[in-house]
Amino acid sequence: MSKTPRLRHVRGVAFWILCGLALLLIITPAVAIILSVLVKAAPQLKLSLFTNTTADLQNPGLQNAILGTLVLLLGVAVVAGSIGVLGGIYLAEFAPRRLGGPLRFFSEVLAGVPSIVIGLVAYTAFVEALHWGFSILSAIIALSLLTLPYIVKTTEVSFSQVPRSLREAAIALGLSRITTIRKVLLPPALPGIISGMVIALAIATGETAPLLYTASFSNTNPSAGLFHNPIGYLTYVTYYYVQLPGAQNQALASAAAGVTILLVLLLIFAGRAITARQRRLMARLDV
Amino acid sequence: MILVRRRAGGLPTGPARVARARTHELTGGDRVLQWVSGVAATIPLAGLLFITIILVVWAIPAIIYSGFGVFTSDKFFIGNFYSLNFTSVNGVVAPFGANYGALTFIIGTLTSSLIALVLAVPISVGGVLMLSEWIPRRLEGPLSTFLELLAGIPSVVFGFWGLTVFGPFLGAHVFPALSHLGVILPFFKGSWAYNGQGLLTASLVLTLMIIPIIASTTRQLVKRVPVLASEGALALGMTRYEVVRVVTIPYVRTGIIASALLGWGRALGETIAVLLIIGMANNPPVNIYGTTSTLASTIADDLDSALSDGTGMALRAMAMLGLILLIMSLVTNLTGRLVVRRISTESLPVGRGV
Amino acid sequence: MNVRRHASIGFAVITGAILVSACGSTSTVTAPPTSAPASTSSSPTAAAVQTGNPAGPQTLSEAGSSLLYPYLQKLAPGVNSAFANITLTPAAGGSGTGQSEALSGTIDMGGSDAYLSASQVSANPGALNIPIAVSSQAVNYNLAGFPNLKLSGNVIAQIYQGTITTWNNSAIAALNPGVTLPATPIVPIRRSDSSGDTFIFTSFLSATNPTWSSGPSFGTTVSWPTVSSELTASGNPAMVDTLHSTPGGIAYIGISVESAALVDGLGEAELENASGDYVQPDQTTVTAAVTAGAGNIPASLAASLIYEMGAQAYPIVNFEYLIINPSKITSADTALAIRTFIEWAISPTGGATADNLAAVNFEPLPTTVIPQVNTAVAQITG
Repeated sequence: MSKTPRLRHVRGVAFWILCGLALLLIITPAVAIILSVLVKAAPQLKLSLFTNTTADLQNPGLQNAILGTLVLLLGVAVVAGSIGVLGGIYLAEFAPRRLGGPLRFFSEVLAGVPSIVIGLVAYTAFVEALHWGFSILSAIIALSLLTLPYIVKTTEVSFSQVPRSLREAAIALGLSRITTIRKVLLPPALPGIISGMVIALAIATGETAPLLYTASFSNTNPSAGLFHNPIGYLTYVTYYYVQLPGAQNQALASAAAGVTILLVLLLIFAGRAITARQRRLMARLDV
Repeated sequence: MILVRRRAGGLPTGPARVARARTHELTGGDRVLQWVSGVAATIPLAGLLFITIILVVWAIPAIIYSGFGVFTSDKFFIGNFYSLNFTSVNGVVAPFGANYGALTFIIGTLTSSLIALVLAVPISVGGVLMLSEWIPRRLEGPLSTFLELLAGIPSVVFGFWGLTVFGPFLGAHVFPALSHLGVILPFFKGSWAYNGQGLLTASLVLTLMIIPIIASTTRQLVKRVPVLASEGALALGMTRYEVVRVVTIPYVRTGIIASALLGWGRALGETIAVLLIIGMANNPPVNIYGTTSTLASTIADDLDSALSDGTGMALRAMAMLGLILLIMSLVTNLTGRLVVRRISTESLPVGRGV
Repeated sequence: MNVRRHASIGFAVITGAILVSACGSTSTVTAPPTSAPASTSSSPTAAAVQTGNPAGPQTLSEAGSSLLYPYLQKLAPGVNSAFANITLTPAAGGSGTGQSEALSGTIDMGGSDAYLSASQVSANPGALNIPIAVSSQAVNYNLAGFPNLKLSGNVIAQIYQGTITTWNNSAIAALNPGVTLPATPIVPIRRSDSSGDTFIFTSFLSATNPTWSSGPSFGTTVSWPTVSSELTASGNPAMVDTLHSTPGGIAYIGISVESAALVDGLGEAELENASGDYVQPDQTTVTAAVTAGAGNIPASLAASLIYEMGAQAYPIVNFEYLIINPSKITSADTALAIRTFIEWAISPTGGATADNLAAVNFEPLPTTVIPQVNTAVAQITG
């Protein structure tokens, strides 16, 4: 029994209308969320937002939260960045096939661990058992565990995408592996690595759950000291103040949400720009 | 002619096999780097073991105390710290009246994530098909940027938006219409909070959060469909819809299932957005708009209360909830990734923001 | 009956405290002299409690009671201008959080409306409850047109047990003769976090309703009876917010945010006290309760002022405590800063000025308690 051409055509149209609706359902909320957050945040974007801290009762600002986030991002870049890049180098350049597979696999499994679980473990192990108290170090470790798989993966992929001909030339010249990595492979791979780090930092900027019980929160600007040193961060301000009644609290929550989104978008676009630039360079490099 | 190596099964292999110098030719500096980077490469595994061991060790007393009641009891009460008595079960001492039943949270976690999954898969697949089949190349870049943007929005911003904009909108305009469905589906009957807080709102926001994962994987897979097959189908006179149905979908079906599992894994672990939107009630939802709790949101919300327990059992109960959540997430995630790895070596979908 | 129970807890605490040595560190038992010019303790009957501006900048971290938080926010600028090296950073989070973080040493001082439980004291020997002010709690409700209904603890307990479900219930009507109440369903609202407000509210319910006393009893967390319409909120401000959006709702709200509640148009109940009077919380009624209860305060300072017998005494009155664990204090300077802050905070010329107290509707500590407070403060050494 064959369907009439009419029926087939109608079915096609109906299907594609539904698909169009689906695409709309994907795009509209994305735009709506970003726009509504930025619109709510816009009235708060005055200078006092960046010069005052949340401790100021009359005119609270986000200085301590922004500085705190930046400090945490720096810590993640140092800790997760160094471990992740080295780990990626190992997987790409040194790991024998049988070892590399499982290591990669477990790295991906780590990516699936919910962030609140990581926060809970960091709390019980570092804040309590090791008596570090709410501390910058325990927060950085929690965030690093979270972002490590991404950095490892992007580093490994970046290295393996370096053209084969470059590697063969290095072997032909008799270069040691460390020289090969440093002089031949790293330059072309570097944009990819940096892009991966930047995306990881974007993820870290948006995290709240792992920081709730490791960094706690501080109403003052970050101070030196890895232990017994709570630190403020942007996402907490939104999380805490959106639950409080009163226009001033809601305004502060909106402002923090707006700044968070801007920071995340900035990092994502920076990552993409670096990747796009690298693609153009690699195209020219085609050997 | 395209010179790409293919495995049996028609899929290209990953990046070209890496050329390396032979092992016995490594210099001293090489060996140092090998060891240092080797240690670094094992840190994710070490971290994973560390997390699992800590959770298991901390959860054991709570598990002994609760037994199977963890899964059968929906009452979660950390006990009265001011009572002069204690409750002791199986040799474990807890504050008076403490009961660590996780059923409420398990139900909340599973229903919210499953609703999100059921909604997200067709929306993602449909949207991606639209994007790849009909949208002109020029617009494709900006539109795929939106996908990345959605992936990058932090969880707390989703929660903020859900609590201040989306929830009240649903409560005022959508739920009244939906409640008419209550005639045939009793779960849709009933009242809802003025600000929309509850299971349905949380599930809808979760849907938005997992769409990027499913959509980005589906998009990569759709791009890989052999051009010959789809062009051949068109040549035979099939409509574009039929081409999708006959050629594309079977080809990407496994990948969609895999990415759906990954998305489900993320939805299970969502914390902050759910905490702000789901209402945080200690009972299963009475109807689809009802307030309830999930494992992740309960841990985040109650951990500071748990710390005031002098016996330490409340913290053990939190670890127990964390362990249940970890197992659920790992199972779904592992299954998803095992399937994905067999068909694609592309990088992980970006966007976590839990 | 309730006083006896609290007294027996207090007795156990005193015994425990006596049997255990005070400070963990051995080297600095005698407080070292301060190097900066000091403004000494201003407590009227003070023992020689060493106070003064610390040598270097000290930040005192505090967290906990959302009832105490507004008061500490008021005190923070004042203590910093009196002692340039002392900075107070208060936070909310609930009394339970304040207790646990102070006991574990994560923060310097924990704010709590509830004194430490017996098990917390035995797990942390030497931990101190130090009252710095007297506060109270109101019962508010959202029923348009009825600003001041009379309610009793017995009736309120039945509301939270689910046995009284509508506002025109005969029990409520009996307390309010001549008033026609609507048939609006009652929505009980309670705290979801580990809360000192819950502690004093449930103490009040336990004192007035035997079923409640033998059932959920009192505590910072209790097993609330299942009432299908019940709502929860985290923190005092959220209680006000939820009540405001819930017609027919009833909630217990700390006095420091009460002005926000009344501005919102919510009704404040007149509660029946132990002497049979119907009173609302204000300076007279709260002071009457404190005077009635000030006589039997143990050395541990773990005292209840709930449901005191006295004419016009308000039934839900409590001390606001700072929980301090001296064994977790790492430096003598920190201990000095804590002692200085507390002595300044309880002094009428320092923190406990009429303005500061009135802004949050608190009352000052009764003078009879000050010597005991000083004794406790003297135990804070680093």
